[in-house]
Amino acid sequence: MIWRIDPGSEEPLYAQLVAQVHVALAHGELKAGDRLPAARDLAESLDLNVHTVLHAYQQLRDAGVIELRRGRGAVVVQAATGDRAPLEAALAAFVAAARDAHLTTETATTLLKEAMKR
Amino acid sequence: MTHEPGTTATTETWRPRARAVVLWSTLAATALLLTAVALVLSWRADLPDPVASHWGPDGQPDGFASLGGFVGTIVASTAGPCVLFAAIGWFRGQAAATRRIVAGATVWSGAFGAATLLMSLAPQRGLGDAAQAPGVGTALAVSLLAPLVPAAVAAFLVPADPPQAADGQVPADASRLPVADGERVVWLRRIAGGPGVGIGAATTIGMVGVTVALQMWTLLLMPLLLGVLFAAMFAFVVRVDATGLTVRSRLGWPRTHVPAAEIERASVIEVEPMRDFGGWGWRVGRGGRVGVVLRRGEALLVERSGGRSVAVTVDDAAAGAALLNTLAERSR
Repeated sequence: MIWRIDPGSEEPLYAQLVAQVHVALAHGELKAGDRLPAARDLAESLDLNVHTVLHAYQQLRDAGVIELRRGRGAVVVQAATGDRAPLEAALAAFVAAARDAHLTTETATTLLKEAMKR
Repeated sequence: MTHEPGTTATTETWRPRARAVVLWSTLAATALLLTAVALVLSWRADLPDPVASHWGPDGQPDGFASLGGFVGTIVASTAGPCVLFAAIGWFRGQAAATRRIVAGATVWSGAFGAATLLMSLAPQRGLGDAAQAPGVGTALAVSLLAPLVPAAVAAFLVPADPPQAADGQVPADASRLPVADGERVVWLRRIAGGPGVGIGAATTIGMVGVTVALQMWTLLLMPLLLGVLFAAMFAFVVRVDATGLTVRSRLGWPRTHVPAAEIERASVIEVEPMRDFGGWGWRVGRGGRVGVVLRRGEALLVERSGGRSVAVTVDDAAAGAALLNTLAERSR
């Protein structure tokens, strides 16, 4: 899969990695049993500290998405959960409404984050 | 648009380098072999006539030949592979990796021929009857393994390709992947397994079986080395990032790197291992194309400056190709 890091973003670097794994799972790009790249390889290519990648992997492990096994690396254990069609539909509606209201991506994301906290 | 390497004047810069490697490695192999020939011919008075030239499974000699006949057979069976390696280097030596393999294989062959002569004839000096010649298990192991040293030196002496930037722009019809300014992007895949593993395992186990049957224990080193070689050949990490394409064995070697600035174009092709590369693993294929071939089907093809190209069988190659084209364009 393609991994991206935007150093200019306010989102912490490790969180950007975590988010991409979730997205890849949602799109079926990652499946249970797939192995994530070695933390060293990923860190080297994205010019990150290896601890940043390990931090992301630990978060994913704590969330039950991957297992960290000595010698085998990071293995995906949890495939995309359930039917995501309703969520995709609701998201499309949300994005359309946000565009109608001329909200920036940042503002819309903030609204979504606040709603998730309630 | 894929062009065959070696069709235009600008792609010919590799030829002098390839010819030089073929010439010096062939000369080195010839010198090793002829030195051994001169030495064993100087032993003529001490050697039985005929000499033992073949040994049976029980370790006793079961074939005999005149000294000249034995030397001639060894020289001929060394020359054959050397001619083949020279032809590969001469006509398909675009990549430094290929020239290294050619230099190593040529020098190994010459040294193997020389060692075979010396190791099988030296113990026969002073024997009245060649039937008394001792077994050759250890001699064979030494003849196979010792030449690895000069072969490694020869491979090491072949210089890497000098940097050669790709000419022109990445073609407009090559796929791209949107990447924002300042964004860091990488595409990483692991490849492993395929039919080569089974062939490698069968070969290794077969050799162990033969060695045990013949009770030539020193020869066990051969399947051991082969096992390591196969382990290195059938698991790779494929990486596309700002530096270009990197294909690295999980053991760390072999590996290859194509800098983004040397990439003419990346695309997806279908690979048929036997037809295109004559087998599986790290290969030199038609037109001098370097292949990391673990299975048939989808592969990432990277066309590089100087008529070089690399193909790697990997899933989701389209994403890797698109990212490589984008990064190659950025590097211009």
